[in-house]
Amino acid sequence: MLTARDLTVRYGNVVALEALDVEIPRGRSIAVLGPNGSGKSTLFAAAVGLREPTAGVVERGTDRVAYLPQGLAVEPMFPATVRDVVTMGRWGDLGLRRRMSARDRELVAGAMGELAVDHLEHRRLGELSGGQRQRALLAQVAAQDAELLLLDEPFTGVDRPTEDTVRKLIGTWRDEGRTVMVATHDLARAARDYDLVLALNRRLIAFGLAAATCTEDVLAATFAGHIARVGGLLIETEHRHPGAG
Amino acid sequence: MESLLFEPFEADFMRNGAAAAMLVGVLCGTVGCFVVMRGTALLAESVAHGVLPGVAVAVLLTAGTSGDPDKAAILAGALAGGVATAGGTAVILRRTRLRDDTATAVMFVFMLALGVVLISRVEGFAVDLTAFLFGDVLSVPGWEVALTAGLTAAVLAVLWLLYRPFVLVSFDRRRAASLGVPVERTELALMVLLAAAIVVGFTVVGALLVLGLLIAPAAAAALLTKRLPAMMAVSAGIAAASGPLGLLISWHFEVAAGASIVLVAVAAFAVTAVLRPAR
Repeated sequence: MLTARDLTVRYGNVVALEALDVEIPRGRSIAVLGPNGSGKSTLFAAAVGLREPTAGVVERGTDRVAYLPQGLAVEPMFPATVRDVVTMGRWGDLGLRRRMSARDRELVAGAMGELAVDHLEHRRLGELSGGQRQRALLAQVAAQDAELLLLDEPFTGVDRPTEDTVRKLIGTWRDEGRTVMVATHDLARAARDYDLVLALNRRLIAFGLAAATCTEDVLAATFAGHIARVGGLLIETEHRHPGAG
Repeated sequence: MESLLFEPFEADFMRNGAAAAMLVGVLCGTVGCFVVMRGTALLAESVAHGVLPGVAVAVLLTAGTSGDPDKAAILAGALAGGVATAGGTAVILRRTRLRDDTATAVMFVFMLALGVVLISRVEGFAVDLTAFLFGDVLSVPGWEVALTAGLTAAVLAVLWLLYRPFVLVSFDRRRAASLGVPVERTELALMVLLAAAIVVGFTVVGALLVLGLLIAPAAAAALLTKRLPAMMAVSAGIAAASGPLGLLISWHFEVAAGASIVLVAVAAFAVTAVLRPAR
Protein backbone atom coordinates (compact mmCIF):
# COMPACT_ATOMS: atom_id res chain seq x y z
CA MET A 1 0.00 0.00 0.00
CA LEU A 2 2.94 2.31 0.72
CA THR A 3 6.50 1.56 -0.33
CA ALA A 4 9.63 3.55 0.46
CA ARG A 5 12.81 2.61 -1.38
CA ASP A 6 16.06 4.13 -0.19
CA LEU A 7 14.00 7.19 0.80
CA THR A 8 16.04 10.13 2.02
CA VAL A 9 14.57 13.53 2.85
CA ARG A 10 16.65 16.50 3.95
CA TYR A 11 15.65 19.97 5.12
CA GLY A 12 18.70 21.98 4.07
CA ASN A 13 21.58 20.30 5.88
CA VAL A 14 19.32 18.45 8.31
CA VAL A 15 18.60 14.82 7.49
CA ALA A 16 15.00 14.04 8.42
CA LEU A 17 14.88 10.53 6.93
CA GLU A 18 17.76 8.46 5.63
CA ALA A 19 17.75 5.48 3.28
CA LEU A 20 14.37 4.18 4.45
CA ASP A 21 13.32 0.87 2.93
CA VAL A 22 9.91 -0.35 3.98
CA GLU A 23 6.82 -1.92 2.43
CA ILE A 24 3.53 -1.29 4.24
CA PRO A 25 0.95 -4.01 3.45
CA ARG A 26 -2.70 -3.31 2.67
CA GLY A 27 -5.43 -3.60 5.29
CA ARG A 28 -3.31 -3.29 8.41
CA SER A 29 -3.02 -0.80 11.24
CA ILE A 30 0.52 0.42 11.79
CA ALA A 31 1.89 2.39 14.73
CA VAL A 32 4.76 4.61 13.63
CA LEU A 33 7.01 5.11 16.65
CA GLY A 34 9.91 7.45 17.17
CA PRO A 35 10.99 10.49 19.17
CA ASN A 36 10.40 14.06 18.00
CA GLY A 37 12.44 14.71 14.88
CA SER A 38 12.69 11.01 14.02
CA GLY A 39 11.06 11.42 10.57
CA LYS A 40 7.48 10.27 11.28
CA SER A 41 5.84 13.44 9.96
CA THR A 42 8.38 13.63 7.14
CA LEU A 43 7.43 10.12 6.01
CA PHE A 44 3.76 11.13 5.90
CA ALA A 45 4.57 14.41 4.14
CA ALA A 46 6.58 12.53 1.51
CA ALA A 47 3.75 10.00 1.12
CA VAL A 48 1.20 12.74 0.25
CA GLY A 49 3.64 14.60 -2.01
CA LEU A 50 4.26 17.56 0.29
CA ARG A 51 7.98 16.76 0.54
CA GLU A 52 10.10 15.83 -2.43
CA PRO A 53 12.51 13.00 -1.61
CA THR A 54 16.13 14.10 -1.70
CA ALA A 55 16.92 10.58 -2.86
CA GLY A 56 14.99 7.36 -3.37
CA VAL A 57 11.26 7.04 -3.97
CA VAL A 58 8.01 6.72 -2.10
CA GLU A 59 5.17 4.93 -3.93
CA ARG A 60 1.52 4.75 -2.95
CA GLY A 61 -0.64 1.83 -3.94
CA THR A 62 -3.66 4.11 -4.18
CA ASP A 63 -4.64 7.70 -4.91
CA ARG A 64 -7.23 7.55 -2.17
CA VAL A 65 -5.08 8.91 0.65
CA ALA A 66 -6.33 10.85 3.67
CA TYR A 67 -3.91 12.72 5.88
CA LEU A 68 -4.44 14.26 9.30
CA PRO A 69 -1.42 16.51 9.89
CA GLN A 70 -0.07 17.19 13.32
CA GLY A 71 -1.06 20.40 15.11
CA LEU A 72 -3.43 21.96 12.60
CA ALA A 73 -3.59 25.61 13.67
CA VAL A 74 -7.03 26.80 12.61
CA GLU A 75 -7.58 30.55 12.70
CA PRO A 76 -10.35 31.18 15.27
CA MET A 77 -12.20 33.31 12.71
CA PHE A 78 -11.81 30.90 9.78
CA PRO A 79 -15.20 31.13 8.05
CA ALA A 80 -16.23 27.48 8.04
CA THR A 81 -18.69 25.52 10.14
CA VAL A 82 -18.09 21.93 11.19
CA ARG A 83 -20.28 20.73 8.32
CA ASP A 84 -18.25 22.85 5.86
CA VAL A 85 -15.00 21.38 7.16
CA VAL A 86 -16.23 17.80 6.91
CA THR A 87 -17.63 18.49 3.44
CA MET A 88 -14.17 19.62 2.30
CA GLY A 89 -13.18 15.96 2.68
CA ARG A 90 -15.31 15.19 -0.39
CA TRP A 91 -13.79 17.91 -2.59
CA GLY A 92 -10.86 15.74 -3.62
CA ASP A 93 -13.28 13.39 -5.40
CA LEU A 94 -15.63 16.11 -6.61
CA GLY A 95 -12.97 18.18 -8.35
CA LEU A 96 -13.41 21.85 -9.13
CA ARG A 97 -17.15 22.28 -9.54
CA ARG A 98 -19.03 18.96 -9.41
CA ARG A 99 -21.99 19.07 -7.02
CA MET A 100 -22.38 16.77 -4.03
CA SER A 101 -24.27 13.57 -4.84
CA ALA A 102 -26.52 11.67 -2.44
CA ARG A 103 -23.56 9.36 -1.67
CA ASP A 104 -21.31 12.34 -0.90
CA ARG A 105 -23.91 13.68 1.51
CA GLU A 106 -24.22 10.24 3.10
CA LEU A 107 -20.47 10.04 3.62
CA VAL A 108 -20.42 13.49 5.24
CA ALA A 109 -23.36 12.68 7.51
CA GLY A 110 -21.88 9.26 8.37
CA ALA A 111 -18.48 10.77 9.22
CA MET A 112 -20.06 13.42 11.44
CA GLY A 113 -22.09 10.73 13.19
CA GLU A 114 -19.11 8.41 13.72
CA LEU A 115 -17.05 11.20 15.27
CA ALA A 116 -20.03 12.56 17.25
CA VAL A 117 -19.84 16.07 15.81
CA ASP A 118 -23.26 16.10 14.15
CA HIS A 119 -24.72 18.24 16.96
CA LEU A 120 -21.94 20.79 16.31
CA GLU A 121 -22.51 21.04 12.56
CA HIS A 122 -23.44 24.75 12.55
CA ARG A 123 -20.65 25.82 14.90
CA ARG A 124 -17.58 27.58 13.53
CA LEU A 125 -14.50 25.33 13.82
CA GLY A 126 -12.60 28.01 15.76
CA GLU A 127 -15.29 28.03 18.47
CA LEU A 128 -14.77 24.38 19.41
CA SER A 129 -12.69 22.87 22.20
CA GLY A 130 -9.48 21.02 21.31
CA GLY A 131 -11.15 17.59 21.45
CA GLN A 132 -14.20 18.69 19.44
CA ARG A 133 -11.97 20.28 16.82
CA GLN A 134 -9.86 17.15 16.48
CA ARG A 135 -13.03 15.08 16.06
CA ALA A 136 -14.25 17.46 13.35
CA LEU A 137 -10.91 17.18 11.53
CA LEU A 138 -11.01 13.38 11.84
CA ALA A 139 -14.55 13.47 10.45
CA GLN A 140 -13.12 15.33 7.44
CA VAL A 141 -10.57 12.51 7.06
CA ALA A 142 -13.33 9.89 7.45
CA ALA A 143 -15.47 11.59 4.80
CA GLN A 144 -12.68 11.11 2.26
CA ASP A 145 -13.45 7.39 2.18
CA ALA A 146 -9.72 6.75 1.69
CA GLU A 147 -7.87 3.45 1.36
CA LEU A 148 -4.71 4.74 3.04
CA LEU A 149 -5.07 6.90 6.15
CA LEU A 150 -2.10 8.73 7.64
CA LEU A 151 -2.80 10.13 11.11
CA ASP A 152 -0.03 12.19 12.65
CA GLU A 153 -0.36 12.10 16.44
CA PRO A 154 -4.17 12.16 16.43
CA PHE A 155 -4.34 11.74 20.21
CA THR A 156 -2.35 14.85 21.10
CA GLY A 157 -4.40 17.31 23.16
CA VAL A 158 -7.65 15.36 23.09
CA ASP A 159 -9.81 14.22 26.00
CA ARG A 160 -10.32 10.59 26.99
CA PRO A 161 -13.73 10.09 25.27
CA THR A 162 -12.29 11.45 22.00
CA GLU A 163 -9.27 9.18 22.37
CA ASP A 164 -11.54 6.16 22.81
CA THR A 165 -13.69 7.17 19.81
CA VAL A 166 -10.65 7.57 17.57
CA ARG A 167 -9.09 4.32 18.73
CA LYS A 168 -12.33 2.46 17.97
CA LEU A 169 -12.55 4.13 14.56
CA ILE A 170 -8.99 3.11 13.65
CA GLY A 171 -9.98 -0.51 14.41
CA THR A 172 -13.11 -0.18 12.27
CA TRP A 173 -11.16 1.26 9.34
CA ARG A 174 -8.64 -1.60 9.59
CA ASP A 175 -11.48 -4.16 9.70
CA GLU A 176 -12.94 -2.56 6.54
CA GLY A 177 -9.67 -3.34 4.75
CA ARG A 178 -8.19 0.15 4.87
CA THR A 179 -4.55 0.77 5.77
CA VAL A 180 -4.14 3.05 8.77
CA MET A 181 -0.75 4.48 9.78
CA VAL A 182 -0.68 6.34 13.09
CA ALA A 183 2.31 8.33 14.36
CA THR A 184 2.24 7.97 18.13
CA HIS A 185 4.34 8.14 21.28
CA ASP A 186 2.16 5.70 23.21
CA LEU A 187 4.46 2.69 23.44
CA ALA A 188 2.08 0.51 25.48
CA ARG A 189 -0.80 1.06 23.06
CA ALA A 190 1.46 0.54 20.05
CA ALA A 191 2.15 -3.04 21.10
CA ARG A 192 -1.46 -3.76 22.04
CA ASP A 193 -3.71 -1.92 19.58
CA TYR A 194 -1.92 -2.16 16.22
CA ASP A 195 -1.07 -4.99 13.85
CA LEU A 196 2.39 -3.70 13.00
CA VAL A 197 4.96 -1.31 14.40
CA LEU A 198 7.35 0.84 12.35
CA ALA A 199 10.13 2.16 14.60
CA LEU A 200 12.00 5.15 13.20
CA ASN A 201 14.86 7.33 14.29
CA ARG A 202 15.74 9.03 11.01
CA ARG A 203 16.59 5.53 9.82
CA LEU A 204 14.54 2.38 10.02
CA ILE A 205 15.09 0.76 13.41
CA ALA A 206 12.57 -2.06 13.10
CA PHE A 207 9.37 -3.04 11.29
CA GLY A 208 7.21 -6.03 12.04
CA LEU A 209 4.39 -7.51 14.09
CA ALA A 210 3.57 -5.18 16.95
CA ALA A 211 4.12 -7.51 19.89
CA ALA A 212 7.38 -8.89 18.47
CA THR A 213 8.74 -5.46 17.52
CA CYS A 214 7.99 -3.55 20.72
CA THR A 215 10.89 -5.06 22.65
CA GLU A 216 12.94 -3.14 25.15
CA ASP A 217 15.99 -3.32 22.86
CA VAL A 218 14.16 -1.96 19.82
CA LEU A 219 12.52 0.82 21.80
CA ALA A 220 15.83 1.75 23.44
CA ALA A 221 17.41 2.03 20.01
CA THR A 222 14.43 3.99 18.66
CA PHE A 223 14.32 6.48 21.52
CA ALA A 224 18.09 6.58 22.05
CA GLY A 225 17.70 5.11 25.52
CA HIS A 226 15.06 7.65 26.64
CA ILE A 227 12.57 5.08 27.86
CA ALA A 228 11.69 3.87 31.30
CA ARG A 229 9.68 1.03 32.80
CA VAL A 230 6.87 2.34 34.99
CA GLY A 231 4.55 -0.19 36.64
CA GLY A 232 5.48 -2.80 34.06
CA LEU A 233 4.88 -0.42 31.12
CA LEU A 234 7.55 1.08 28.90
CA ILE A 235 7.16 4.85 28.45
CA GLU A 236 9.10 7.44 26.53
CA THR A 237 10.82 9.88 28.88
CA GLU A 238 11.81 12.63 26.42
CA HIS A 239 8.45 13.44 24.77
CA ARG A 240 8.09 17.02 25.98
CA HIS A 241 6.14 18.66 23.20
CA PRO A 242 4.48 17.66 19.96
CA GLY A 243 7.06 19.34 17.72
CA ALA A 244 8.06 18.35 14.19
CA GLY A 245 8.58 14.65 13.95
CA MET B 1 -33.46 64.41 1.20
CA GLU B 2 -33.80 62.89 -2.25
CA SER B 3 -31.86 65.76 -3.77
CA LEU B 4 -29.08 65.23 -1.21
CA LEU B 5 -28.82 61.58 -2.21
CA PHE B 6 -29.42 61.61 -5.95
CA GLU B 7 -28.61 65.08 -7.29
CA PRO B 8 -24.82 64.59 -7.08
CA PHE B 9 -25.10 61.58 -9.41
CA GLU B 10 -26.64 63.64 -12.20
CA ALA B 11 -23.10 64.61 -13.14
CA ASP B 12 -21.39 62.14 -15.50
CA PHE B 13 -18.14 62.07 -13.55
CA MET B 14 -20.01 61.16 -10.35
CA ARG B 15 -21.99 58.40 -12.07
CA ASN B 16 -18.87 56.94 -13.65
CA GLY B 17 -16.97 57.22 -10.38
CA ALA B 18 -19.76 55.52 -8.43
CA ALA B 19 -20.03 52.70 -10.98
CA ALA B 20 -16.27 52.11 -11.01
CA ALA B 21 -16.06 52.26 -7.20
CA MET B 22 -18.94 49.78 -6.84
CA LEU B 23 -17.29 47.35 -9.26
CA VAL B 24 -13.96 47.63 -7.45
CA GLY B 25 -15.87 47.22 -4.18
CA VAL B 26 -17.44 43.95 -5.29
CA LEU B 27 -14.06 42.70 -6.52
CA CYS B 28 -11.97 43.76 -3.51
CA GLY B 29 -14.70 42.81 -1.04
CA THR B 30 -14.77 39.27 -2.43
CA VAL B 31 -11.04 38.70 -2.91
CA GLY B 32 -10.34 40.43 0.43
CA CYS B 33 -12.08 37.56 2.25
CA PHE B 34 -9.19 35.29 1.24
CA VAL B 35 -6.70 37.89 2.52
CA VAL B 36 -8.44 38.14 5.90
CA MET B 37 -9.03 34.39 6.19
CA ARG B 38 -5.37 33.59 5.38
CA GLY B 39 -4.02 36.37 7.61
CA THR B 40 -2.04 37.90 4.73
CA ALA B 41 -2.95 41.59 5.09
CA LEU B 42 0.72 42.60 5.12
CA LEU B 43 1.33 40.66 1.92
CA ALA B 44 -1.66 42.41 0.34
CA GLU B 45 -0.20 45.79 1.31
CA SER B 46 3.15 44.73 -0.06
CA VAL B 47 1.58 43.71 -3.38
CA ALA B 48 -0.43 46.95 -3.48
CA HIS B 49 2.82 48.94 -3.32
CA GLY B 50 4.76 46.43 -5.38
CA VAL B 51 2.80 47.50 -8.46
CA LEU B 52 4.67 50.84 -8.38
CA PRO B 53 7.88 49.73 -10.18
CA GLY B 54 5.77 48.05 -12.87
CA VAL B 55 3.76 51.24 -13.36
CA ALA B 56 6.96 53.28 -13.48
CA VAL B 57 8.52 51.05 -16.15
CA ALA B 58 5.30 51.22 -18.20
CA VAL B 59 5.25 55.02 -17.95
CA LEU B 60 8.95 55.27 -18.85
CA LEU B 61 8.52 52.99 -21.87
CA THR B 62 5.27 54.39 -23.27
CA ALA B 63 5.19 58.08 -22.29
CA GLY B 64 8.52 58.86 -23.96
CA THR B 65 7.29 60.23 -27.26
CA SER B 66 3.62 61.11 -26.84
CA GLY B 67 3.89 62.27 -23.24
CA ASP B 68 0.78 60.24 -22.43
CA PRO B 69 1.39 56.77 -20.94
CA ASP B 70 -0.47 53.81 -22.40
CA LYS B 71 -3.26 52.61 -20.06
CA ALA B 72 -2.96 48.94 -21.05
CA ALA B 73 0.81 49.05 -20.51
CA ILE B 74 0.26 50.55 -17.04
CA LEU B 75 -2.18 47.76 -16.13
CA ALA B 76 0.19 45.08 -17.46
CA GLY B 77 3.16 46.69 -15.68
CA ALA B 78 1.21 46.95 -12.43
CA LEU B 79 0.17 43.30 -12.63
CA ALA B 80 3.77 42.24 -13.32
CA GLY B 81 4.96 44.33 -10.35
CA GLY B 82 2.34 42.82 -8.04
CA VAL B 83 3.10 39.25 -9.11
CA ALA B 84 6.87 39.89 -8.81
CA THR B 85 6.32 41.12 -5.24
CA ALA B 86 4.35 38.01 -4.27
CA GLY B 87 6.78 35.74 -6.14
CA GLY B 88 9.82 37.41 -4.58
CA THR B 89 8.33 36.94 -1.12
CA ALA B 90 7.73 33.25 -1.86
CA VAL B 91 11.35 32.84 -3.02
CA ILE B 92 12.72 34.50 0.16
CA LEU B 93 10.54 32.23 2.29
CA ARG B 94 11.65 29.14 0.42
CA ARG B 95 15.38 29.94 0.60
CA THR B 96 15.46 31.18 4.20
CA ARG B 97 13.85 30.30 7.50
CA LEU B 98 12.61 33.85 8.04
CA ARG B 99 9.12 34.52 9.35
CA ASP B 100 6.41 35.40 6.82
CA ASP B 101 6.11 39.00 7.98
CA THR B 102 9.87 39.62 7.74
CA ALA B 103 10.14 38.22 4.21
CA THR B 104 7.05 40.19 3.18
CA ALA B 105 8.37 43.44 4.65
CA VAL B 106 11.79 43.06 2.99
CA MET B 107 10.13 42.64 -0.41
CA PHE B 108 7.70 45.47 0.37
CA VAL B 109 10.41 48.08 1.07
CA PHE B 110 12.51 46.86 -1.87
CA MET B 111 9.67 47.23 -4.39
CA LEU B 112 8.53 50.56 -2.93
CA ALA B 113 12.04 52.01 -3.03
CA LEU B 114 12.62 50.64 -6.54
CA GLY B 115 9.33 52.17 -7.65
CA VAL B 116 10.16 55.59 -6.22
CA VAL B 117 13.63 55.52 -7.83
CA LEU B 118 12.16 54.57 -11.22
CA ILE B 119 9.29 57.02 -11.05
CA SER B 120 11.67 59.85 -10.14
CA ARG B 121 12.99 59.41 -13.71
CA VAL B 122 9.53 60.28 -15.05
CA GLU B 123 8.85 63.95 -15.69
CA GLY B 124 6.15 65.35 -13.39
CA PHE B 125 6.57 62.34 -11.11
CA ALA B 126 5.05 64.10 -8.07
CA VAL B 127 1.65 64.31 -9.77
CA ASP B 128 1.85 60.71 -11.00
CA LEU B 129 2.79 59.44 -7.54
CA THR B 130 -0.20 61.16 -5.95
CA ALA B 131 -2.56 59.62 -8.51
CA PHE B 132 -0.89 56.25 -7.97
CA LEU B 133 -1.29 56.37 -4.21
CA PHE B 134 -4.74 57.94 -3.94
CA GLY B 135 -6.37 57.26 -7.31
CA ASP B 136 -8.64 59.57 -9.22
CA VAL B 137 -12.12 58.16 -8.97
CA LEU B 138 -13.77 61.34 -10.23
CA SER B 139 -12.00 61.29 -13.57
CA VAL B 140 -12.88 57.74 -14.66
CA PRO B 141 -14.11 57.81 -18.28
CA GLY B 142 -16.96 55.59 -19.48
CA TRP B 143 -14.63 53.19 -21.32
CA GLU B 144 -12.65 52.63 -18.10
CA VAL B 145 -15.85 51.72 -16.26
CA ALA B 146 -16.50 49.11 -18.95
CA LEU B 147 -12.89 47.87 -18.68
CA THR B 148 -13.21 47.66 -14.87
CA ALA B 149 -16.44 45.68 -15.30
CA GLY B 150 -14.74 43.24 -17.69
CA LEU B 151 -11.70 42.75 -15.46
CA THR B 152 -13.88 42.36 -12.36
CA ALA B 153 -15.95 39.70 -14.13
CA ALA B 154 -12.79 37.88 -15.27
CA VAL B 155 -11.23 37.82 -11.79
CA LEU B 156 -14.50 36.69 -10.17
CA ALA B 157 -14.87 33.94 -12.81
CA VAL B 158 -11.44 32.56 -11.89
CA LEU B 159 -12.37 32.75 -8.21
CA TRP B 160 -15.61 30.86 -8.90
CA LEU B 161 -13.77 28.17 -10.86
CA LEU B 162 -10.94 27.65 -8.34
CA TYR B 163 -13.01 28.26 -5.21
CA ARG B 164 -12.43 24.78 -3.71
CA PRO B 165 -8.63 24.64 -4.14
CA PHE B 166 -8.36 28.21 -2.83
CA VAL B 167 -10.36 27.33 0.29
CA LEU B 168 -8.38 24.12 0.86
CA VAL B 169 -4.93 25.78 0.68
CA SER B 170 -6.24 28.55 2.95
CA PHE B 171 -7.52 25.99 5.45
CA ASP B 172 -4.37 23.85 5.58
CA ARG B 173 -1.91 23.30 2.75
CA ARG B 174 -0.99 19.83 4.06
CA ARG B 175 -4.62 18.69 4.00
CA ALA B 176 -4.98 20.31 0.58
CA ALA B 177 -2.06 18.25 -0.74
CA SER B 178 -3.63 15.01 0.47
CA LEU B 179 -6.83 15.96 -1.38
CA GLY B 180 -4.89 16.21 -4.62
CA VAL B 181 -4.56 19.99 -4.78
CA PRO B 182 -1.33 21.22 -6.43
CA VAL B 183 -0.54 23.45 -3.45
CA GLU B 184 2.19 25.70 -4.85
CA ARG B 185 0.43 26.34 -8.15
CA THR B 186 -2.83 27.07 -6.34
CA GLU B 187 -1.12 29.51 -3.97
CA LEU B 188 0.49 31.21 -6.96
CA ALA B 189 -2.90 31.49 -8.68
CA LEU B 190 -4.33 33.04 -5.53
CA MET B 191 -1.47 35.55 -5.46
CA VAL B 192 -2.02 36.46 -9.11
CA LEU B 193 -5.71 36.91 -8.38
CA LEU B 194 -4.92 39.20 -5.45
CA ALA B 195 -2.52 41.19 -7.61
CA ALA B 196 -5.18 41.45 -10.34
CA ALA B 197 -7.78 42.73 -7.86
CA ILE B 198 -5.28 45.30 -6.56
CA VAL B 199 -4.38 46.41 -10.08
CA VAL B 200 -8.04 46.90 -11.01
CA GLY B 201 -8.64 48.69 -7.69
CA PHE B 202 -5.66 51.00 -7.69
CA THR B 203 -6.70 52.69 -10.92
CA VAL B 204 -9.84 53.84 -9.12
CA VAL B 205 -8.96 54.44 -5.47
CA GLY B 206 -5.15 54.25 -5.59
CA ALA B 207 -2.64 51.77 -4.23
CA LEU B 208 -2.77 53.03 -0.66
CA LEU B 209 -6.54 53.01 -0.42
CA VAL B 210 -7.24 49.78 -2.31
CA LEU B 211 -6.02 47.98 0.78
CA GLY B 212 -8.85 49.58 2.73
CA LEU B 213 -11.41 48.05 0.37
CA LEU B 214 -9.65 44.68 0.55
CA ILE B 215 -9.42 44.47 4.33
CA ALA B 216 -12.09 46.56 6.09
CA PRO B 217 -15.25 45.11 4.46
CA ALA B 218 -13.93 41.54 4.75
CA ALA B 219 -13.00 42.11 8.40
CA ALA B 220 -16.51 43.44 9.10
CA ALA B 221 -18.05 40.48 7.28
CA ALA B 222 -15.88 38.04 9.27
CA LEU B 223 -17.49 39.40 12.45
CA LEU B 224 -21.00 39.02 11.06
CA THR B 225 -20.91 35.60 9.37
CA LYS B 226 -19.79 32.01 10.00
CA ARG B 227 -19.41 30.71 6.46
CA LEU B 228 -17.25 31.85 3.57
CA PRO B 229 -19.98 32.29 0.90
CA ALA B 230 -21.96 34.51 3.30
CA MET B 231 -18.79 36.37 4.28
CA MET B 232 -17.99 37.09 0.62
CA ALA B 233 -21.54 38.33 -0.07
CA VAL B 234 -21.62 40.63 2.98
CA SER B 235 -18.10 41.90 2.33
CA ALA B 236 -18.84 42.63 -1.34
CA GLY B 237 -22.05 44.41 -0.30
CA ILE B 238 -20.28 46.63 2.25
CA ALA B 239 -17.44 47.45 -0.16
CA ALA B 240 -19.83 48.17 -3.05
CA ALA B 241 -22.02 50.44 -0.90
CA SER B 242 -18.92 52.30 0.32
CA GLY B 243 -18.39 53.66 -3.23
CA PRO B 244 -21.51 55.81 -3.71
CA LEU B 245 -21.71 56.65 0.02
CA GLY B 246 -18.11 57.85 0.03
CA LEU B 247 -18.72 59.91 -3.09
CA LEU B 248 -21.76 61.55 -1.46
CA ILE B 249 -19.64 62.52 1.53
CA SER B 250 -16.94 63.79 -0.81
CA TRP B 251 -19.52 65.87 -2.76
CA HIS B 252 -21.28 67.43 0.20
CA PHE B 253 -18.24 68.07 2.40
CA GLU B 254 -15.80 68.80 -0.45
CA VAL B 255 -13.23 66.24 0.73
CA ALA B 256 -11.05 63.70 -1.15
CA ALA B 257 -13.22 61.12 -2.93
CA GLY B 258 -11.03 57.97 -2.77
CA ALA B 259 -10.24 58.44 0.90
CA SER B 260 -13.94 59.08 1.70
CA ILE B 261 -14.87 55.74 0.11
CA VAL B 262 -12.34 53.90 2.24
CA LEU B 263 -13.43 55.79 5.38
CA VAL B 264 -16.99 54.54 4.84
CA ALA B 265 -15.69 50.95 4.54
CA VAL B 266 -13.63 51.32 7.73
CA ALA B 267 -16.62 52.93 9.50
CA ALA B 268 -18.69 49.84 8.60
CA PHE B 269 -16.04 47.68 10.26
CA ALA B 270 -15.91 49.94 13.34
CA VAL B 271 -19.69 49.92 13.77
CA THR B 272 -19.76 46.13 13.37
CA ALA B 273 -16.95 45.62 15.88
CA VAL B 274 -18.65 47.90 18.45
CA LEU B 275 -22.22 46.63 18.06
CA ARG B 276 -21.43 42.93 17.76
CA PRO B 277 -21.70 41.06 21.08
CA ALA B 278 -18.23 40.51 22.56
CA ARG B 279 -16.92 36.95 22.61
